[in-house]
Amino acid sequence: MPVLELEAKGVVKRYGALLANDHVDLAVERGEIHAVMGENGAGKSTLMSILYGLQQPDEGRILLRGAEAHFRSALDAIAAGMGMVHQAFKLFNSLSVWENIVYAREPKSGPFIDRRAARRRVADLARRHRLAVDPDASVGALSVGVRQRIEILKALYREATILILDEPTAVLTPQERDGLFDVMRHLAAEGRTILFVTHKLHEVMAITDRVTVLRDGRVVERLQTKETSPREIIRAMTGRSVSLSVEKGPAQVGAPLLEAIDLTVGRGAKPAVDKASLAVRAGEIVGLAGVAGNGQSELVEALVGLRIADSGGVRVAGKDVTEAGVAERRAAGIAYVPEDRALVGSALAASAADNLAMGFQRAPPVARGFLIDPAATAARARALIAKFGVKIESERAAVGSLSGGNLQKVVVARELAHEAPVLIAEQPTRGLDVGATEFIHRQLIAERDKGRAVLLISAELSEILALSDRILVMYEGRILADMPQAEANEETLGLLMAGRTQAAAA
Amino acid sequence: MTAPDAARPARRFRTPPAATAILFAAIVGGVLVVASGANPLDAYYQILAGSLSLGALPDTLNWATPLVGMAVAAAIPLRGGMINLGGDGQMAIGGLVAAIVALCLPAPGPLAAIAALLAAALAAGLYAALAAWGETRHGIPMLVSSLLLSYPAIGFCSYIVRFPLRDTATGLPQTQMIPESARLLTIAGPLNVGMLIIVAIAVAAIFLDRRAIVGYELRLRGLNKRFAGYGGVDLEKQAMLAMFSSGAIAGAVGAIIVLGSDFRFIDGALLIPSYTWSGLMAALLANGEPVGTVVAGLFFAALQTGGFAMQRETTIPRVLTLVLQAIVILFLAVRHGLGRRGA
Repeated sequence: MPVLELEAKGVVKRYGALLANDHVDLAVERGEIHAVMGENGAGKSTLMSILYGLQQPDEGRILLRGAEAHFRSALDAIAAGMGMVHQAFKLFNSLSVWENIVYAREPKSGPFIDRRAARRRVADLARRHRLAVDPDASVGALSVGVRQRIEILKALYREATILILDEPTAVLTPQERDGLFDVMRHLAAEGRTILFVTHKLHEVMAITDRVTVLRDGRVVERLQTKETSPREIIRAMTGRSVSLSVEKGPAQVGAPLLEAIDLTVGRGAKPAVDKASLAVRAGEIVGLAGVAGNGQSELVEALVGLRIADSGGVRVAGKDVTEAGVAERRAAGIAYVPEDRALVGSALAASAADNLAMGFQRAPPVARGFLIDPAATAARARALIAKFGVKIESERAAVGSLSGGNLQKVVVARELAHEAPVLIAEQPTRGLDVGATEFIHRQLIAERDKGRAVLLISAELSEILALSDRILVMYEGRILADMPQAEANEETLGLLMAGRTQAAAA
Repeated sequence: MTAPDAARPARRFRTPPAATAILFAAIVGGVLVVASGANPLDAYYQILAGSLSLGALPDTLNWATPLVGMAVAAAIPLRGGMINLGGDGQMAIGGLVAAIVALCLPAPGPLAAIAALLAAALAAGLYAALAAWGETRHGIPMLVSSLLLSYPAIGFCSYIVRFPLRDTATGLPQTQMIPESARLLTIAGPLNVGMLIIVAIAVAAIFLDRRAIVGYELRLRGLNKRFAGYGGVDLEKQAMLAMFSSGAIAGAVGAIIVLGSDFRFIDGALLIPSYTWSGLMAALLANGEPVGTVVAGLFFAALQTGGFAMQRETTIPRVLTLVLQAIVILFLAVRHGLGRRGA
């Protein structure tokens, strides 16, 4: 008889009219890796916040090792042996690794931090769990994969026996992901319990013991991983069968619409973008692969005008826009879905109508003279909301309450409404569920088939491989490779993303 | 994800936070009055009678004119997530420029007044825009530069009226009286056309905020600056324009006091009543939203005017009204802060 480590019983959480968790029951056994799956807005994040004490349920109980637990805050949850690795890491970038890990639980000698003991404990912990880190390194200088290890170590240092990992693989290379899986297996073998929140089916199949699937706030399925299939999980998540691969015809390629010529951002020996050249032609999707932080963001910012390049040039539809600002480049023909839909792509406190009007506010029908036409703005917003199936109360509601997928639909709806010849889509499906991802993918292919030039920046190799006609790999600011999709596979790209051109060529 | 309507929880009626804050402040203030041995009901009666009674209303409105003007001046940059702490300097520049133009421009009266007002707004607006330019081009935070630029402006105005333009007849640090024809027309009692100018400015600010493209872009910048920049808003130009408008209104307030009440630029006279800071607090309370800013400005003006009356009629010093004002602000700020964290 397996021991139940953590249980949720009849958990209900409402946000106004929205029922985010509707009598959710979850049972997690000690030492298992348990996947929690569901589309965006299915209630996974809400459930995790409740388990971790960040939010209080309106009804229902949480049982920890059979005893009822009342977490008033995350501090209570941590004290009870829970640890959570959030999607956005919560680290002090200017401090060292060991300082981050022992933070708020420093070994002391008198009133001072016992630095030697702290460093030793961190090093021991890292060795024992095979999480290689240098305790003295400064966190800001480390890669995303290493930072994630620090987050895990932080939880282990606080003696967490239950670990919640929220979308942990979204930012990792395939090699880093495999490393994380080794660590997860090792932790589970030690008797720790892991709650693994993810959208990625192959990961669930590869590593988990059991799966709980949420839909519309309710648990719709509890599955043994060994006895299920990806197709069954998708059906449970979406209520329908979804095609896993993307269907698209051959590319009808035309003239180059977006060109970067020796674009350089930053100065010194190691600029963020180092003489990058690329051309995206009408009717093709060019995928730019790379581990986050290798200059993709800077390259995109220099393309769209959010940052002026230190040298090199940019042409949009044949027009030189090197010196132009954002508005001019948008007018020349760029639409842009930014990497961070909440920080850049929207104003969360503003209404959907206001969000959908951004970029259109200076021309009819939104503008009338120097005024905004509220009726036209609202009508346009309603039309876009309907066309893209955004689930929102009305166009007057703030977009901050939307799930990730619905917020991304707002961003994509707005940018596609420009009908611009060039579309730059940066991590367009990050953190989205199967249904929303499939929707966005169909939109990107429709743009390509309309003869537009699409530049897709993604850390998700399966996405790059499925959508692109041509693939570029970026590593340390340089574009290392330019190959037709047919010549690329996950392994080669993974090696190129790690900068190993020799190994990839072999 | 939609839930059936039956699941909608009954919405509890909530008293507006401002009303709770005022009530709370009244209770705390009352305790202070009792502790000092006076009657709190008497004090509050005097404040109300001294600000809102028919006889007192003109005084309140006269006090509210510059205060609301400075509140709107502070609200404009605040709406876009910027802050102008240099209202004092901008007001002084406006006052001095208005006095000089009214004294020196050989134009018929009303034209001289209009020219003085416009010149004051222009000069103060440009001076305020300097702070925005410093931030966008040289990375000097506007919070710091707008405040620091205020002191040399005040000092310069002070020098001008102490030396080159001193009225030798009185010997005080002030300019000569401006000719009667160049003064703002009186409406009744202490009230003059300046009040109507501020009303027009406030109405324009509210209208532009709600309906105009510039209002939309500034509001969205305040909600998320990166989003506005991403959407094609020229953030540098916008910052300059917002600060120029803010400074120009501050300059106009200075000019209205000089042309409508003092009839000369008197060193320090514009700054002693602290219109800039009361106005800034009103704007902060409303988070830069113009209607709320005007309402808060009127409330502070009534409270301060009532304070003078209370001090005249009772033994309670008018500092009490400043205490009340501070408690209202603190209480509202706490509510805001907690509300935001919970969201």
